[in-house]
Amino acid sequence: MRSILTGHSGSWQRMLARNGWILGVWLLLSVLLVWYATLIPVFGQFQITSISKNSLPLVYLAIGQAIIVIAGGIDLSLGALLLLSNVLAARFMEDQPFGTVLFIAIAVIAGLSILNALVGYVISLSGVPDIVVTLATSYIWSGVALWVLPSPGGGTAPQFRWLFTGSLSGIGGSYNMPILMMALPALAVFILSRRSRIGLSIYAIGSDEVAAGFAGLDVRRAKIASYAIGGAMAALAGLATVAITGSGDPRFSIGATATLNSIAAVVLGGVALVGGTGLVPGVVAAGVILIMLNPILSAMGINPNNAQIIQGVLIAGVMMVGGLVTLLRKRTS
Amino acid sequence: MTAPLLVTANIAKSYGSIVALQSVDLAVRHGEIHALLGANGAGKSTLVKILAGVHPADAGEMYVNGNPMRFRTPMDAMTAGIATVFQDPALIPDLTVEQNLRLSQINDAAFRHWLAWFDLADLDLALLIRELPLETLRMVDLARAVARDPQLLLLDEISAALTADQADRVFALLAQWRGQGRSAVLITHRLAEVRRICDRATILRDGRNVALLETEQTPGERTAEERETPLTPQLDEHLLVQAMLGTPKQGNRESARMKRTFGEEAFRVQGLGSGPLVRDVSFSVRSGEILGLVALEGQGQERLFALLSGDRRPTAGEIRVGGRPRRFLSPYDAVRAGVVLVPGDRLLALLPNLPVRQNLALPLFNRMRQWLRIPADERHRVRNTIERLAIDTRAASQVRRLSGGNQQKVAIGRWLVAEGRTPQGASMWTWRTLLCFDPTRGIDIQTKQEIYALLDRLAANGAAVLLYTSELAEIPLVCDRVLIMHDGRIVDEQDAALATESSLLTAAHGLDQAVPA
Repeated sequence: MRSILTGHSGSWQRMLARNGWILGVWLLLSVLLVWYATLIPVFGQFQITSISKNSLPLVYLAIGQAIIVIAGGIDLSLGALLLLSNVLAARFMEDQPFGTVLFIAIAVIAGLSILNALVGYVISLSGVPDIVVTLATSYIWSGVALWVLPSPGGGTAPQFRWLFTGSLSGIGGSYNMPILMMALPALAVFILSRRSRIGLSIYAIGSDEVAAGFAGLDVRRAKIASYAIGGAMAALAGLATVAITGSGDPRFSIGATATLNSIAAVVLGGVALVGGTGLVPGVVAAGVILIMLNPILSAMGINPNNAQIIQGVLIAGVMMVGGLVTLLRKRTS
Repeated sequence: MTAPLLVTANIAKSYGSIVALQSVDLAVRHGEIHALLGANGAGKSTLVKILAGVHPADAGEMYVNGNPMRFRTPMDAMTAGIATVFQDPALIPDLTVEQNLRLSQINDAAFRHWLAWFDLADLDLALLIRELPLETLRMVDLARAVARDPQLLLLDEISAALTADQADRVFALLAQWRGQGRSAVLITHRLAEVRRICDRATILRDGRNVALLETEQTPGERTAEERETPLTPQLDEHLLVQAMLGTPKQGNRESARMKRTFGEEAFRVQGLGSGPLVRDVSFSVRSGEILGLVALEGQGQERLFALLSGDRRPTAGEIRVGGRPRRFLSPYDAVRAGVVLVPGDRLLALLPNLPVRQNLALPLFNRMRQWLRIPADERHRVRNTIERLAIDTRAASQVRRLSGGNQQKVAIGRWLVAEGRTPQGASMWTWRTLLCFDPTRGIDIQTKQEIYALLDRLAANGAAVLLYTSELAEIPLVCDRVLIMHDGRIVDEQDAALATESSLLTAAHGLDQAVPA
């Protein structure tokens, strides 16, 4: 009994055991990368840049979704917020100098963060389930997006495109910027979620809301904070989309697909949908994996119509392997 | 003269239509250990939640050191110098001990000091809370509360999950605490503890304080008001019981016991093992027999019950039901073989958000093969059971809102509902073996008696019962034979009628019985 409680020597193995899933996801990502490199004739800077920049919107969105799910909620409006951020940026950044563009970017991030914090406040105040409220707001934000930018268009400053894509034209370029822009926000949210009191509170309310309340934590504040982070990350995802495509697109289906993909990445990244567990790095890898599937499947010459089937089978397969591992571990322990 | 540390006046609280507290007056002096007693459902836990700031009171006043207070959040209560250890540890399962401390902004050095006091100095703070055993959690929770350096410590059933020596450490802490002029409110069902360490006791019944009793040794300082009523009765276990029950109870428990005859062997395990936790366990229970099981905390009894009920697969040995060897792949297999479990955690067995009626009828749902044709006798069976068990159905719409004792009655009572056969024939499940894991833990005396009688009746109707209990005094009252488990093995078997608390405890510590002088 004593030995279970004091295992300093085994802390290594414990780290491995606790984060096994995340290591597995990163391993899967590495395998896919190597496989992809052997599949196509040339694999170099262009492909790495392309994968990393195209992953940005989903990775941001998945990180935001992960924080909300860890807090015990779920946000179906993140894709719509991406849409809103995308069209706001494209409409107001067009033909503006870089300084103004940066200011608009920051304003959009702050604005959507506050907007989603309000949604979190409404949820915690009303007691209406997260899934219902955010489904409703997803329609509202999509509608507002159409109103801001009725048809695809708009633009942004070349320097802003360079920020996310490593190229002023959005084509080619170095992979330093997209990887940096992926790593910085991910690291910031990761550290915030594991080191700060509010971050730990987010884990706490998702793990056991009653115990968190008894322990004197402000449950409502933690919930609102998770939605604020989710809103900020969705805004970032919309900005990355503007930088990658060079324009805004208000189509509803883009937002809806993005929401579902963010949930897929969260689950694949090792965040339990019941809340309380999971880490940001796992979600980052899962987001990149989901984006990589498309070029891999097209390199294999698979009909894009069948690609979705394979994507679904892969997610289900990985989850089942995970479930099996957990089951076996429980049996043998 | 200084004001008392804590005074409440006319505190009232209702949850919906259920009145939990009607009007409670409580006064805790500086430097006293104050017991808060009462049967289940008397309102103790509700009062604690109000004092701890978890729920606001509907009415009434609260004073700390003479200053009027109103707690809106648990943080308010902590700031006012009140730290609480709840019945369920307020620790976050998915975070490490260290992260939990950081969340509640606890001074690390003070926490470690108190951990060392509780003999847990080498606890690894990087462990997740969910990886710790319950009794360690309670000590961690307590150490955290004490590290806040509060004026008043609220302890809800602190000793329930602790071993005797851990409880001793806690009481030593309380004695030291009292010496420093601080106070504690202790909620407990163990009256021996009250006599041992408490100065005064407030007794609640039906949401009111009905008595204030005092031990003879330490009268302490008295307020003017109390001097006017000098006839505070002295603390005595009989008085306590009487005050809690409301009507004087005869101590004649034997009368509840039925004459039982043992039938054939219903359940046998042979050489059962599960890693180091359960080793080479063999025993058998006959139909009509109640077999007791006694063990100190953490001797493998939880794992043994998990094996017997199909929740886990054994690594060695076999289980025979009615003479036939069985392998349980899941609890479903066990239930189908006629082995049913009443687990230690009541809410684990119940569907907390469903009404009492549906919870009782759960075992009948196996008849859903007959599709939506709800058996005609279901209603009848359920109603009968509710009446027979005297389940308090004021909160019947959701089982989780019942008091602990009533929940336990539902958990056992459902098997009473499933007893016997249906009028339609043999499609009904029949069960022969009942596994009960500490069914009377944290339950008041009256409900305990009712549960004893219930087990007795089930056995008289032909069930074989295996009863693990942490209350040694129950053994001679309820059981026919008793097994003692230590370090994963069955180390002794005694005739329950002859077993004493000391003979059981000796064996449970893995010691041989002292040679009679």
